Amino acid sequence: MPRGRSPRRRATGARALSPVAPGAVFLQASGRWPPRVALVLLMLGALALSRSAEGYTSFVLATVAINVAVGVGLNILLGLSGQVSFGHVGFFAIGAYVAGISMQAGLPFWLVFPAAGAVTAAVGAALAIPSLRVAGPYLAMMTIAFAFIVEHGTIEWREVTGGANGLMVFESPVLFGRTLDERDLATVAVLLAGLALALFLRLSRGAWGLAMRAVRDSEIASRSLGLNPLTVKAMSFVLSAVLTGLAGAMFTPLNGFISPGSFPFFQSILFILAVVVGGAGTLLGPVVGACIVVLLPEVLSGMAEYRLLVFGGLLLGVLWLAPRGVTGSLARLALREDPRPARASGRDLATVLGYRETRAEPLTVTGLGRAFGGVRAAEDVAFTAEPGHVTSLIGPNGAGKTTVLNLIGGFYRPDTGTIALGARLSGLPAHRVARAGVSRTYQTTRLFDQLSVLENVLVGARRGRLGLLLAPAATRAEVQVAEDLLDFVGYRGPLARPAGQLAHVDRRLVEIARALASRPRVLLLDEPAAGLSRDDKARLAALVREIAGLGVVVVLVEHDMALVMEISDHVVVLDAGRLLLDGTPQAVRASDAVRRAYLGGTEFAGRPRAAARAGHGEPVLATDGLTAGYGAAPALADAHVRVLPGETVTVLGANGAGKSTFLRAVSGLHRPVDGAVVLDGDDVAARPAHAIVRAGLSLVPEGRQVFPELTALDNILLGAHGRGGQVDRAALDRLLDRFPRLKERLAAKAGVLSGGEQQMLALARGLVAEPKILLLDEPSLGLAPSMIGELYDVLADLRDEGTTILIVDQMANLALTVADRGYVLAGGRVVHDGPCAELRDDPAIERAYLGESG
Amino acid sequence: MLIESAIITGLGLGAMYGLLALGFHVTYAVSSTVNFSQGSSMMLGAVLGYTFAVTLGWPMWLAAAAALALCAVFGLLVERVLVRPFADRGSNGWLMATIAGGIVLDNVALFTFGKEPRSLPSPLASEAVTVLGVGAYPLQLVIPAVAIAIAAGLSYTMWRTRLGKSVQAVVQNPEAARLMGIDTRRVIAASFALSTVFAGLAGLLIAPLYNVSAGMGTVFGIKAFAAAILGGITSAWGVVLAGMLYGLIEALTTAFLGSTYTHIVAFSTIILVLFVMPDGLFGRAAVSKV
Repeated sequence: MPRGRSPRRRATGARALSPVAPGAVFLQASGRWPPRVALVLLMLGALALSRSAEGYTSFVLATVAINVAVGVGLNILLGLSGQVSFGHVGFFAIGAYVAGISMQAGLPFWLVFPAAGAVTAAVGAALAIPSLRVAGPYLAMMTIAFAFIVEHGTIEWREVTGGANGLMVFESPVLFGRTLDERDLATVAVLLAGLALALFLRLSRGAWGLAMRAVRDSEIASRSLGLNPLTVKAMSFVLSAVLTGLAGAMFTPLNGFISPGSFPFFQSILFILAVVVGGAGTLLGPVVGACIVVLLPEVLSGMAEYRLLVFGGLLLGVLWLAPRGVTGSLARLALREDPRPARASGRDLATVLGYRETRAEPLTVTGLGRAFGGVRAAEDVAFTAEPGHVTSLIGPNGAGKTTVLNLIGGFYRPDTGTIALGARLSGLPAHRVARAGVSRTYQTTRLFDQLSVLENVLVGARRGRLGLLLAPAATRAEVQVAEDLLDFVGYRGPLARPAGQLAHVDRRLVEIARALASRPRVLLLDEPAAGLSRDDKARLAALVREIAGLGVVVVLVEHDMALVMEISDHVVVLDAGRLLLDGTPQAVRASDAVRRAYLGGTEFAGRPRAAARAGHGEPVLATDGLTAGYGAAPALADAHVRVLPGETVTVLGANGAGKSTFLRAVSGLHRPVDGAVVLDGDDVAARPAHAIVRAGLSLVPEGRQVFPELTALDNILLGAHGRGGQVDRAALDRLLDRFPRLKERLAAKAGVLSGGEQQMLALARGLVAEPKILLLDEPSLGLAPSMIGELYDVLADLRDEGTTILIVDQMANLALTVADRGYVLAGGRVVHDGPCAELRDDPAIERAYLGESG
Repeated sequence: MLIESAIITGLGLGAMYGLLALGFHVTYAVSSTVNFSQGSSMMLGAVLGYTFAVTLGWPMWLAAAAALALCAVFGLLVERVLVRPFADRGSNGWLMATIAGGIVLDNVALFTFGKEPRSLPSPLASEAVTVLGVGAYPLQLVIPAVAIAIAAGLSYTMWRTRLGKSVQAVVQNPEAARLMGIDTRRVIAASFALSTVFAGLAGLLIAPLYNVSAGMGTVFGIKAFAAAILGGITSAWGVVLAGMLYGLIEALTTAFLGSTYTHIVAFSTIILVLFVMPDGLFGRAAVSKV
């Protein structure tokens, strides 16, 4: 089941080589001039040099300029959109050959550049389409293959390219009646480099550049703001190819001779090296990089043969010590963050967003279903969310709430059912759904981390309409709207701060402002209150109500029941992917069915101990002041929990109360910020997870986490890995006697077992480690009632045999019958503890799960 | 005649690509990172083998063992210095770092080993035998056998031994693997050592057929990477088979169209295959989650 907290999340796409966000300093009035001024001064200097230089100096200057143009092209790809190409020497060669062939054919020199640009644009587009569907190593391979095909194509296509002998261009080019000498060529090359730099400056500040950087930072968030990542990446690829091709066209008249040997594959590596060393994503990075790559060998001419060794070492040094490259690192030292916060215009939100009484249409969901690998994450879900109302989707863990949001947002395609907002939405890709007016936030915020706060919001304002290539990112009026929205959501920090540096609360606020900036008709909020303090929650509640008041359809997924009950007009309760109830907050609170879904009903009561048992001795596990997670409201704060030998202890609390964080911090999966975890007398808080496991702690993780491709038996045997891996036959038989269902399926791959069987398997795998203490995280999650009963019988047996157990379960009533003592968490803190017999009848429990009543 | 000879050459060459590609596969499967200095690791194996066996006159078995051991050390070094510092902070800087590491190693070899290509004598490559009516060195037949044996051995280890299963656990669910008491970092480091040993072995095996030189690894490394991608880098057998296939495509193209078309045909095949099957011939799609 797709869940935000999945530990199996892996980065699949290639991420940028730590480029710097260039726009952050450009968007404010105060930062508008320096780059432009610097560029003009640089160009004037270079032009002056080109007029005064002679002979070899002219040649070197022109070579630097050509490398700058290539570097800028590559920088659009690498720095702005975060894609790597090892094939750029191919575009360079194509540009050079187009120039050589057209010059030999006697084409006027000024036509050479449009011709080279057009050919490389066409080839770039043809390569971009298959390449950009793949990512990471596959994309790298596509571009490598392209470079080799071009290299060998130029050798083989003799009639056109002259084959291995190459092409000679004897005539000096003539431009507007003037025969260009070496000095003139250097001037033309410098002008080309200057144009490339000006283009980069304009592009990186503009709507397309912003979109490229947004796609680089998060494709998923880009899609939900109406951007089609494929279009944006393809544009950057083609632009990059064209600039490289133009630079290649300049190479031919300058050198007078080209052959396949002029364009070895290794040159592609040098192109990338120059950009990375100079500073990817910065305006002047390619200039610095080109100077280094071209001039260093000139300076070190005595040790020419060590050139590559020096380059390799230089690249390594930069990657280790200054991953932002020379200019990126200098800029970081020199630039101070503009502290200016959002300035509100004082208009109200409706005016800011320009909402008028238009056709307010409800969001209607009918018969919605979606399965993942046989698990029905959503089945026959239907509800209507009215404009002007807050509709909350609630339900226990694994109920399918986020799945429903992802279906509405177009990230998953429904198997059955329809979603409509006036027109039908289901079946559209995410960016089209966004353009139709659906905007969202995420359970784990997905901001564009390298973009400034203001830029994040401005991406939202576009709704995917980017306009012309060099269109500005935002008008003054749009910037004012963004500032108003940031002020409105309560963000008080600097506009220029990169989103990646924001505190947790601010991330949530900025994400809401970004979603609002697209003037949504439907706003989907996925757990917006998670991790917020009480005051922040109160402000969030008022904000959500106000947004709904504008006539927006607000759909809220939230675990804080007090908040849900307070602000919802309408609550939709899901359980195990199905609709359980659809009604007012009062109706939901009064419903027995809902209470059962949350707390566990009485129909499967666990078996209590025959005789009450008082724990004694030194605790097997003790936490002192355990704190995990950062910010004003850490996910877990100052937890003191003790488990004595032979005891069964339960930790209770609503979703988001910090239960899972507690288990993850104890087991070392999540490094605690503060506090001690004492396991059998040793503080293990600083140890890695595998060492804590070897010290005698065994966690049966939430969601089972079996190894799907290994057999059930292998899964069990792996449980013993931490204690040396030996499992004798008799011990295994005794273990399997507890799990008769597993016994029959030992040879099956774990991935094909049912949810209940997988849970038994995970438990068996935990037990075979013969732990001092067994931890269970949400063992009943998503299981059929009969399986839950069976599982809890096993747990009761283990308890009676003296196993020390710590159990976290959504089904509080169930856990309380099996356990001896319990702790209640709320807002990351232990708010209550005591013997289970007392906790069972304590109204504090129900409050913690379902919110304050009355 | 031509075709049999091309097949024998192609399989020998392809097995080499497969062996190197297997190295790309093991690190990618375990850690989603790739060591782009694989070609240089192969060169290292050949150059060290030559130095120990010819220059120092050690017996061949000792020279090979020492070369492979040093290749393993190089792999550990690559992981620790060129990959881990970047992977730990979620950057893909390892990509350029391993390329840079390869450039440095190639050039260090150039200045220590020298610029002259040398040939490593081997009893398996001195006298041709007749197979399928064409002449071939025994080594050309040994290489595919070794590659297949290694792929089979790897497969056996991964699926039949406790050690292999603990590696499978890391591949399939790294977090749950840690909960089994498996030190995932050590497994990742070991995968890099294994990948460079495969590369070094490939270098030792082809040294008698091709010349040993400091620059020999670059083109082999790129083609092996092509084979890994063609097969689908997530599949062990896939990359070995794709390596053989790639070798066959090259040898047959050379035989029937001429050597200039070799790269054009082979690399065009890669682009076409990826266009139709974005995860390679035997690879699996990465699941992206929202």
